[in-house]
Amino acid sequence: MEISDELKEIDENLIKQLNQIAKEKVEYWDIRTEVNNGTSLDFNDQKSKEISSFEIINCGIRAFKNGGWGFSVLKDLKRESIKLGFQKAMKLACLSESLCKVKFNINQRDPLIVQYQNSRKKKLDDIDIEDKIKLVKEHEQIASNYSSYVKNTRTIYLDGHSQTLFLNSSGSKIIQDLSFLRLFCLVYTKKNDTIQSSVNSVAGIGGYEIVETDEAINLSKKTAKEAVALLDAKSPVGGKFTIISDPKLTGTIIHEAFGHSCEADLVLNNESILKDKIGEKIASEGVNIIDNPTLGQGRQFNLPYELFGSYFIDDEGIPSEKTIIIENGILKNYLHNLETSSRMNVPPNGHGRASISSERPQVRMGFSYLEPKDWSLEDIVEDTKDGILCEDFQYGYTDPTSGNFQFKCRFSYRIKDGEKQEIMRDVALSGMILEALNKISAIGNKQTFNYSVGMCGKGGQRIRVCDGAPYIRIEDITVGGLN
Amino acid sequence: MDNSNIHSLAEYCLNLIEHKNSEIKCTDIFFEKSKYINIEIEENSIKNNEVGEDNGVSIRVINKKGSLGFAYANKLDRFTIERLCKIAIKMMKVATPDPDFKDLPGSFNNYPIVNGLFDKNLKNLEIEDSIKYVNDLIKVCEDDEIAISQSGNFASGYSKTYIFNSNGLYVSRKDTSCLISSNIIVKDKLSKETSSGYERQVERSLKNIDAITIANLALEDAKRNLNRKKIRNMKVPVLLTPKGTISLILRPIATAVNAETFQYERSFLVGKRGQNIGSEFLNIKDNGLIDGAAGSQIFDDEGVPCKNKKIIEEGNFLKTGLLHNSYTAGKDGVESTGNAARSSYVSIPSIGITNFIMKPGDISFEEIMKDIKEGIVLDYTGDSPNISTGDFSGLILHGNLIRNGEIKEPLNETMIGINLLDLFQKINAVSKEYRVYGAFQAPYVKIKSVNIIGGAN
Repeated sequence: MEISDELKEIDENLIKQLNQIAKEKVEYWDIRTEVNNGTSLDFNDQKSKEISSFEIINCGIRAFKNGGWGFSVLKDLKRESIKLGFQKAMKLACLSESLCKVKFNINQRDPLIVQYQNSRKKKLDDIDIEDKIKLVKEHEQIASNYSSYVKNTRTIYLDGHSQTLFLNSSGSKIIQDLSFLRLFCLVYTKKNDTIQSSVNSVAGIGGYEIVETDEAINLSKKTAKEAVALLDAKSPVGGKFTIISDPKLTGTIIHEAFGHSCEADLVLNNESILKDKIGEKIASEGVNIIDNPTLGQGRQFNLPYELFGSYFIDDEGIPSEKTIIIENGILKNYLHNLETSSRMNVPPNGHGRASISSERPQVRMGFSYLEPKDWSLEDIVEDTKDGILCEDFQYGYTDPTSGNFQFKCRFSYRIKDGEKQEIMRDVALSGMILEALNKISAIGNKQTFNYSVGMCGKGGQRIRVCDGAPYIRIEDITVGGLN
Repeated sequence: MDNSNIHSLAEYCLNLIEHKNSEIKCTDIFFEKSKYINIEIEENSIKNNEVGEDNGVSIRVINKKGSLGFAYANKLDRFTIERLCKIAIKMMKVATPDPDFKDLPGSFNNYPIVNGLFDKNLKNLEIEDSIKYVNDLIKVCEDDEIAISQSGNFASGYSKTYIFNSNGLYVSRKDTSCLISSNIIVKDKLSKETSSGYERQVERSLKNIDAITIANLALEDAKRNLNRKKIRNMKVPVLLTPKGTISLILRPIATAVNAETFQYERSFLVGKRGQNIGSEFLNIKDNGLIDGAAGSQIFDDEGVPCKNKKIIEEGNFLKTGLLHNSYTAGKDGVESTGNAARSSYVSIPSIGITNFIMKPGDISFEEIMKDIKEGIVLDYTGDSPNISTGDFSGLILHGNLIRNGEIKEPLNETMIGINLLDLFQKINAVSKEYRVYGAFQAPYVKIKSVNIIGGAN
């Protein structure tokens, strides 16, 4: 791996000096630096709106003492700037320590010295900008020409390359070199007074091969097809219903309404409904929920690249690992970063992540999913007397302290006596997550399992995530349409 | 990096581009240097102290056919500027032509005077001197019987912005802002139920920050939401709190009158200019010239002077009621309204609000409440309306029943569904009290009757 010149500034000599400065003044420190560059292509109605390129340097220096953190952010990697930033972070940690009431220590770990570079079959830098433009234009054309009902199209291509260096007081030195790509397609359709839209994206960690899979090639057509189909969708019905939820919607509910409550920082701050519930049965028997950000899972979905939410080592120098959250309905583990694991006296499980080096790591998910069981989709539908099959996801939100959630799927079908009826739109589901997890009455098999990609926001930081699930059935969910 | 340095970098860049390519029509350069401090509390205790800084530059180059290239970096030296110029031109060459692009703004002779946008106390604020604000937050939570935790922060920032373009425009401004936020968790001793309440304040000057009030408001909010009940379906008047007014009236209108949303016909207000779209109580303006207000600016992020614009007057959506940057204005053949907005140097200018204001009414909150026998008060929904259709159906995350003019039980699993045009027509009272949340100013607003879908059916 070729190390960028900026990162080379931080050599053994500087690290030695930093250790000298920190000696006995703070208990822990870490430095994260990164050099990023990338391209962004944003097309609307076959015209380019933004064609841009960037080069950004970030550096965040963290120091810790007895419950207090100090954090100093700088945007250049000169030796003198780093030393100065380091001293500031130490001073701020001591200030925090003098004021904080919640005292704790960070459990020391063995140093980790490692380099990682994700595989990329086609390097992003080797692809000419003209070819990237051509790709976006083709997607725009496919979407625009799909039907005369297509009103607007938008295609966004984002790629990036980042090289990060992590150092900490235990002597860790981790260099990671990542390249990632996201292609995003949005289509608006109009028929008489009805306006509809659909959106899909493909994303992963790897090279240009990410946009060359069948899924990526079909992205714009699939999106246009959905947006057109929705024009004739009927308004949904309201009331209490049995719901069959597709992998995309289920995965999102698992992530948003449940996954965030498992983040130990929210648990410690009394903001989670799962506080003091480890070891308790909180979901139907047979429910297994996992967060597994480890690498090598793209294969499972026939992808020639790594999943968008995967990572090798988290942003606190802890290798990613598979964490079992719910096993057979019983809450087993929270997700941890360095601080929460130290405070709860458990081993860290590699969920300390930051969007960029100039932000502090928080407890975050990577690839969270509900494990498949044994139902086929046909069997679930046939076994449902009166219900609604909900597909895809528009958006959703959850009140973390109560677990009250609402999600909007993109389209849905009424199920009557085991038969799928006509398409409906704009279906909103709401409920209490801990009640809903206990009302799961069927979990689909491996063939129905799928994953989706997204950017997850928490405390102003947006990070790469994936979620996954099979089709599932939940009883007794409140459904609200507009009428 | 001092002013003369920035100036010479900008001149260097403009010269370089001018001589690079005869196809180029215009260029602008945006410099921003900023610094901030941030103190965070978690578990009602100070947790983290943070300081940071950034210096960045972006270059936008447009050729005679309207093709646009953009590049940015956070290093300010000649070598970086030179590379950015090359990259921006490379990007421009592969961009599609855009006949709708007219020109970047020219230079302006006069800029408005707006006071109170820069507070030197904030620019020079040390983190040690800011601790007292978070200590105020902590004390409110500590002193309460049922408050069990609080997260929140105090942050302050200073930025200096420079905009140059090849039409001779050169402007710079200094801005300060500070923010205090509180999220308090309460727990009922008997029912063991918990709930949270949130409040924040954004100011341009330090002296206006009132941490104790903010924490108390968050606490009241949390308590109002404790021991939630499911209700049955009903059709009743809905009273929007200022927060509710922002999420159901101000924010959707701000997006819907954004000229870009409009030109793409993604706004439910397309075709409604010059028409009545709401009751006489609906009066909206976007005013960038209020002294000391969070959304005020002397000029926008393309250097165009900010203004005070009426958007909706007594329910009439004015023909001139759109927010423009120079691109959308050129496309429509009008003047830019001074609403170009960038999130920072990393983005090309889109369109944003300055201070987006709903005019308060003549009667008090109490008088409005008194008339409601049975109704709902809506404070917060995590949902936002569909801007292209105006349809809204969402979960009421913070809301209460109103009975005989009093705020009663908080709601659980309760949804509300309405089209915004219907909602605007049904506004039948607006309070004289209003709240300022950053760039929004919102009163209490009463909606005549709305379908409520309860979870108790």
